[in-house]
Amino acid sequence: MGEHVVAAASELQEGDRLVAELAGREVAVFRFDGELYAYLNWCAHQGGPVCEGALTGTYEATYDREANEVSLSWNREGEVLMCPWHGWEYDLPSGECLSQRSTRLPSYPVEERNGDVVVTL
Amino acid sequence: MSTQTNRSPLTENTVVDVDVHLRIPLDDLAEYCDEPYRSTIKHPTYTAVNRSGWDRYMGGNIQKESLPDADTLYEKVCDGFDIDYPLINAFPVLASVPEDDRAVHMMRAYNDYLLDNYLDEYDEFRGLLSVATQDPEAAAEEIERMSSEEKIEGVYVLNSGAHLPLGHPDFDVMYRAAADHDLHIAFHASAGAPFARDFPIQDNAINRFMTTHVLAHPWAHMLTMTSLLVNGTPEKFPDLNFTFLEAGLSWVPYMLFRLNKEYGMRRREAPLLEKSPEEYIREQFYFASQPMGEPNDPQHLKDIIDIVGTDSLLLATDYPHWDFDHPDALDRHLRQFYPEETREGVLADNAVEAFDLSL
Ligand code: FES
Repeated sequence: MGEHVVAAASELQEGDRLVAELAGREVAVFRFDGELYAYLNWCAHQGGPVCEGALTGTYEATYDREANEVSLSWNREGEVLMCPWHGWEYDLPSGECLSQRSTRLPSYPVEERNGDVVVTL
Repeated sequence: MSTQTNRSPLTENTVVDVDVHLRIPLDDLAEYCDEPYRSTIKHPTYTAVNRSGWDRYMGGNIQKESLPDADTLYEKVCDGFDIDYPLINAFPVLASVPEDDRAVHMMRAYNDYLLDNYLDEYDEFRGLLSVATQDPEAAAEEIERMSSEEKIEGVYVLNSGAHLPLGHPDFDVMYRAAADHDLHIAFHASAGAPFARDFPIQDNAINRFMTTHVLAHPWAHMLTMTSLLVNGTPEKFPDLNFTFLEAGLSWVPYMLFRLNKEYGMRRREAPLLEKSPEEYIREQFYFASQPMGEPNDPQHLKDIIDIVGTDSLLLATDYPHWDFDHPDALDRHLRQFYPEETREGVLADNAVEAFDLSL
């Protein structure tokens, strides 16, 4: 419990991530699009190391009934965290699981303070 | 079939029967066709093709019933079974008609025949229009054409004979027409040539791995299990166990009970068996847990495990394949729902038994 310094802010540049063991839990911190995010490294599916997965995009599709056309687009490049075990997808900024909307990665408050990255459990 | 007209608990209820079939003689159907189809369909060759000529009626020992006219249907189904509203389909095997234009023409003829000879005859009768899946545009037009008919309530689609899997975007015109007219879809398979000849080739048009991956293992296992039972393999080799890997459990309950039912009706086609298929399966067949089904309500997984039986269940991860299950995916259910002894059985003892392991 409490506050943990996980890195110097300069060690975590835009697009970087790190995984730290804090009070017996693996917590990952991402710097993405100028923001910091801290998530438990534990996939809601079967406990895989989700935060070590690729940041990728995903397909989204819409159907236009009038035109009878499906349009398929590859979106959200770099925002979708994909668990390396079986591919469950999570939206990085919100932690929301894309296939099970009621599931989120457990998250922790994280901030930059006096040149450090600080996670509060 | 002897249909009894004495009191049944159903008389008090409103009852809808959603699958009542006709068997329309092609000579009668021909009257609803224009030339050249009228002549063509009087000389059919497609009904007796490869693998359609099964001994369905056990050498004539079980009755081959039909409902040749509206009065007979009313008498047998409505009076005999206390059905208030039969939802009738013409049961055409249009997918086996090799010429697409003929199939489309016959589709219209079947639907007109159904209306004229059945649906118009009794207020209670309702119907499903049939479509030829060879031509989804023509199917959509037919849905439009029939949509003004009050007695038509939905669309009958033979799915084992379609040439493409029925979610293929080619069929969207058909579904859109159905949706526009509030005509809902009913799928029906076939045990004849469509299943043997056309159904397997749908596999060639699967366009995402997910589809093939969901289906490949259980389909193969279903066929294997059925073949083993019908041929009496577990009876021939009573000391031999059979384990089914990589399809999980959820496919098994259907097989247990359907094989029992079919065995009851057609025992002479599986004459080596000395007991019910379910007994063989429970005694000699084992099922590996992976891929664990993921029901929205975890209780349902317990229900499935209970039906298949914890004695028949083996732990499997399938590691290192990408779709492996962590052992805890199964074990957390075992811990939650079962006593320790049962859990130990699934984790090890059943495997020892299934393979005679020396540990
Ligand atoms: S454990 Fe993450 S996808 Fe299965």
